[in-house]
Amino acid sequence: MPDEVLLRLENISKSFPGVKALQNISFDLRKGEVHCLCGENGAGKSTLIKILSGAYQPDEGGQIIFEGKTVRLNPHLAISMGIQTIYQEHTVFKHLNITENIFTGLEVGKNGFLHKKEMRKKTVEVLKYLKSDLDPDALMGDLGSGQQRTVEIAKGLIFQRKVIILDEPTASFSVSEIDNLLEIILAIKESGIGIIYISHHLEEVFKIADRITVLRDGQKVSMYDLKDVTTEKLIKDMVGRDPSSFYKREDVPSGEVIFEARNVTGNGVKNISLKLKRGEILGFAGMAGSGRSELMNVLFGAENIEFGEILINGKVVKQASPSSAIRNKMCFITEGRQDTGLFLNQTIASNTIIANLVNTREFFMSPSSDYKTGDKFIKLLGTKANDSHVRVINLSGGNQQKVVLAKWFNTNGEIFIFDEPTRGLDVGSKQEIYQIMIGLLKQGKAIIMVSSDMPEVIAMSDRVIVMKNGEVTAELSKNEVSEENILIHSIGGSKI
Amino acid sequence: MTTGEEHKKVIKESLFKRFENSTVLSIFIAFIVIVVVIQIGKTGGSQFPTFISPVNLLNIVQQIAVPGMVAVGMTIVMISGGIDLSVGMLASLVAIVTALGLSKWHIGVVPSVLLGIGVAIVLDTILGYIISRTKVEPFIITLGGMITFQGIALLLCNSREVMMHGELDFFKANLINGAKDPVTGLNLVIPPYVLIFLVIVVLGWLLLTFTKYGRRVYAVGSNPNAAYLAGVNVRNIKLSTYVINGFLVGIGAVMLLARINVGIITLGQGLEIDTIAMAVIGGTALGGGKGNIWGTFFGVLLLGSIGNAMNMLRLPPEVQYVAKGVIVILAVSLSTVYTNISSSISRLSKHALSRRDI
Repeated sequence: MPDEVLLRLENISKSFPGVKALQNISFDLRKGEVHCLCGENGAGKSTLIKILSGAYQPDEGGQIIFEGKTVRLNPHLAISMGIQTIYQEHTVFKHLNITENIFTGLEVGKNGFLHKKEMRKKTVEVLKYLKSDLDPDALMGDLGSGQQRTVEIAKGLIFQRKVIILDEPTASFSVSEIDNLLEIILAIKESGIGIIYISHHLEEVFKIADRITVLRDGQKVSMYDLKDVTTEKLIKDMVGRDPSSFYKREDVPSGEVIFEARNVTGNGVKNISLKLKRGEILGFAGMAGSGRSELMNVLFGAENIEFGEILINGKVVKQASPSSAIRNKMCFITEGRQDTGLFLNQTIASNTIIANLVNTREFFMSPSSDYKTGDKFIKLLGTKANDSHVRVINLSGGNQQKVVLAKWFNTNGEIFIFDEPTRGLDVGSKQEIYQIMIGLLKQGKAIIMVSSDMPEVIAMSDRVIVMKNGEVTAELSKNEVSEENILIHSIGGSKI
Repeated sequence: MTTGEEHKKVIKESLFKRFENSTVLSIFIAFIVIVVVIQIGKTGGSQFPTFISPVNLLNIVQQIAVPGMVAVGMTIVMISGGIDLSVGMLASLVAIVTALGLSKWHIGVVPSVLLGIGVAIVLDTILGYIISRTKVEPFIITLGGMITFQGIALLLCNSREVMMHGELDFFKANLINGAKDPVTGLNLVIPPYVLIFLVIVVLGWLLLTFTKYGRRVYAVGSNPNAAYLAGVNVRNIKLSTYVINGFLVGIGAVMLLARINVGIITLGQGLEIDTIAMAVIGGTALGGGKGNIWGTFFGVLLLGSIGNAMNMLRLPPEVQYVAKGVIVILAVSLSTVYTNISSSISRLSKHALSRRDI
């Protein structure tokens, strides 16, 4: 019965402090269909998946109906009822072989011992069914990510899952691996499994989808049968915010070119060229995994440059490590504030002075001057803290971000890379950060901003470079920048 | 994710958190008070408690000087996020090499001492190089180092003692000859190695607190990724802490040899456990980024005086292991308790603040 509904969500909402991640979502999945979820970064796809896998509990009011019964899911229950989620960053046991990976936690036993033969037999059968030539005794760690995905799907088949959810399964796949996976998906849907498939790549969606649901800002925008929809229609649905609601930034006149990259290649990005002028924000848009942060790491000297050159003030510079980048007046406000930006258990003062040590000649330093510097930037940036003796771990997200900024402002840098500068911040903190950025432009400094927040990219950038799969797909001038244009270039078909 | 309300809060920190060494100091003072009270109770107050007589205090300092020097190095290594289990066997090896230089190879006092210290620096540098250039846990590498050094030391001395003839006695000469303890009337002794220990403590403190290098050591231990992106050469900072540690182990081992006057494999036995315990009692975190030399200094004093106090109280020496263990556990868990108390206090006061806002 192909039209039988397996799983239905009714009026599902989910809020986090300060954010409504999902609002009144209704969604259903039939037996033997592939239902694709589309939407920008932050549209709510991942939250929806986490509710289906039981990792999040939805807010009161909605209900989840699985095979006709209302259920409250938790991760364990979801799996035992037959809902398997295969995450973007998947969890495999690298030191175990394929058979062991499939049966871990669900071992087949015989007289109290493992029934290895039986497990291996089942694995061989299912791999054969998937037309895969994988050796069931091969170590998981030796497989490519496409092959690992195949094993996870095999696991779903062996335990007769009813729903398989794939979240961005093809990130970091080669073309042949993608084709392989899509074939497998089409094969297993014949056996009556319902598949929810999330991907930024519309080509893949059009190859396998039966139905497509579009989410935007936590709301369901539309739902189509494949035959009723085109790429243009999908993209229109994914965008469509009112630009008048965006942040209004001040215009700052731009000056001469301060930073230039020529054919930069390395760390997974290919042949990137860009020019950055004083007083200008150059935005970088693209989907998660499009290579933007990877590029920033190369530009800052944190990752090796394989090919190409970097020019600062018209002179070629060798960016061998972050310390040389700092000497060249570059600053890098990283994406992971707590992972790569802050020393959480240290004081605001220690965090503030650390990057400028590169420019300090003196070997001896006094703690009291550290605290003075820390206090100076607390005042300058309006950080909410008594003084710079406070440890950064005790600050809220917005104030932690200000400590990161203080660390870089203290170096007197001129070229700023902001990678997701306002991720996870509330509206008030966001606007404060924006004002600080405009303040930098007025001092004649220049900013490269990577952001997955579409309104932010559009509102703040003077120009936008769009990336996809480690390459630049478009450079948009101020009047070409629109949600639609950016999306077309970041997810649209390979030929533009 | 933050809410607007959170944004308005002004963060205050309690004094407890700000004064880092409060835990170890309070335990140390409590320990002294307990021992003194027991002593007074035993004699009915008729005698001055011998535990805090000047002669005994100097005695304690002599016993802790060598582990104290190594504990300073261990603290620096641990703040940078590492650990060094090899210090004990490295000290034994250095003592044996130095003793061999003096009594078998006859290369003279200064060359022997320099050879010993040089061996310590080179070997710890090799370990540091491996640790900083690979991703293998320092625990494993230095464990391997410990076993290797033990083997080398035993090979060098054919598993026998290396006798000496007091060539290093000037390290234990009394600097205050003739001074008498006003309480007991016994001779007071301050040998040069006690001064060397104190100098090392002060230098260690200056290095960590008043130099660019010290700030980088804390940064590397606290968050190596962020440190790298802030322009710190993480690998070389890690390496350098082992070089410093090797140097201090070298000096400590020579002093140990001077005190005991015989090169033997048991000289450094257990030194790694003692010095790690001293650093940890003093508030140094195993995970790195936290700790300071004065905390370690009090940790050294506390751990070092336990054995002595047990003698004073006429308790069997076996008890001191129990006492040492309990104190390590107390020191580490108490600091968490303090943090919990102070954070709940600040939560209460925040609550009061927000109520006032309404």
